[in-house]
Amino acid sequence: MKWLNLSQIGPIAMVAGLLGSLAVGAPSYNAQNTIPRSVFLTLPTDLPEPKIEMTASQGPSGAWQLRLDVSDFQFTTLCVNSAQPVPIGHAHIIRDGVKIASAYYPIIDLGHLVPGRHRISAVLRGQDHRAMVGADGLLQMDIIIWVPKQA
Amino acid sequence: MFFQTTYKTGLTALPMTIAASLTPQVATAHEAWLLTPDEITALATAPMPAIFTSSLILGLAAGIGCAGTVAALHFEEFLRPYEKRVAPALKNMGSQIGPAVMRIALAAMLGLAGLGGLPRHGTALWVEPTLLVPDMQLSLVPGWEWVAACQLVMAVLLLVGLMTRITGLGLIGLSILGLPIFGAPFLAYAPHFIAPGLIIALIGGGTFSLDRLLSLHRQATILDPQIIWRLAQILVGAGFVYLAVMYKLTQPTLLIAILQHGDMPTFGLSFALIALIMTGVEIICGILLMTGRLIRPVSLVIIGAISFLALTLGETPLFHTNLYGCMILFALMGRTWSVTNEGPSSYERALA
Repeated sequence: MKWLNLSQIGPIAMVAGLLGSLAVGAPSYNAQNTIPRSVFLTLPTDLPEPKIEMTASQGPSGAWQLRLDVSDFQFTTLCVNSAQPVPIGHAHIIRDGVKIASAYYPIIDLGHLVPGRHRISAVLRGQDHRAMVGADGLLQMDIIIWVPKQA
Repeated sequence: MFFQTTYKTGLTALPMTIAASLTPQVATAHEAWLLTPDEITALATAPMPAIFTSSLILGLAAGIGCAGTVAALHFEEFLRPYEKRVAPALKNMGSQIGPAVMRIALAAMLGLAGLGGLPRHGTALWVEPTLLVPDMQLSLVPGWEWVAACQLVMAVLLLVGLMTRITGLGLIGLSILGLPIFGAPFLAYAPHFIAPGLIIALIGGGTFSLDRLLSLHRQATILDPQIIWRLAQILVGAGFVYLAVMYKLTQPTLLIAILQHGDMPTFGLSFALIALIMTGVEIICGILLMTGRLIRPVSLVIIGAISFLALTLGETPLFHTNLYGCMILFALMGRTWSVTNEGPSSYERALA
């Protein structure tokens, strides 16, 4: 068997060319883009970064309500397939590590919570549901709700 | 080592994944949509693995990839006499069951997408019709909701095997239409749907189709069948290369998070190295398909790999029936297209 025949040169040249050029180009790209673009929407640094304030309160019926006060961010019900990097979108509400709602308005009904400790998180999302990232990382706010046992 | 294991596990896993898909379940998520909120939070601060930012390591990996390709091409020479021996039987099987396999595979995907039966994670079943794949929700593109109905009609036509070649052309049209509707993100999917569209337009309805029953199964003569067959292989291969570069090589932390989420066995390797190996193998397999080399072994490796990942990640294999259809046909027919039996199949003769 010959070391290499003519018909094998095409595929080998293609593999060598592509892998070689990727070995040259990918490191610099990866060094600048460390977070996956298909999951995160990075806001430009020249825009004011949204700040989240979150409060929870219990109503007379015992149900809990969450209120989001987000500066420099606009809530919208409109979703698109590929969003622009602008602070427009909605929030995902997560209770104890499980997503429970998409909040298109700043007031969210959490319903009745079982007694105990609950970690509630709000993560700002773009119109295409990608998680928003600012200069300091994920635009997220966590609070802890303690629900006392019924007397 | 990893790929041998993947390949072997995948072969045994295929029947299990197909069986699992037949049981009622909420279709699970795809890629990024698999991750839990805590995993997304961790991913936002996950450091880029050093091997993906080092020219030296990637250069070394490229060298190993080239050496692997040379070895694979020599393996092809070694394999050739054995392949020659089994090729007629495989081609015969391909021309008899191939069209039905491809029709059912595409009908399943089109029908489920049209009905919202393949939703992405967090979306209820049967609520959000999509274009071919879970990520492409038609409700996000006002004015294009009618595409869901087109998909349903195409699914029924493929299932019964009526006007199969025209439906294949329709699928090509739909895949191309996805590009202006959804933009660049659809590039990840278009080649893997144009290719089966081309194949179905080439092979027609085949056994147990109304086309065959009504004698509408004449061979298309507009283009040389070999050109169409090779074009399908080139598109599938190019699709894999694109996915490997755009998603695995340049977003490796996402791939690693998904592998960790699935608690994938690592065989003592780091997740970063596994991600790099997966990227390299996908690129090499894609190029081999594009150049028409080792078509049968590459098809089996890909069937094994996607089955293994579906099992590991808990995904439904229905997300990839288009690829299963293509790979089964490539594995049976090989590099060149030839119809060994234009008349009634042995099954039909047995029934007659």
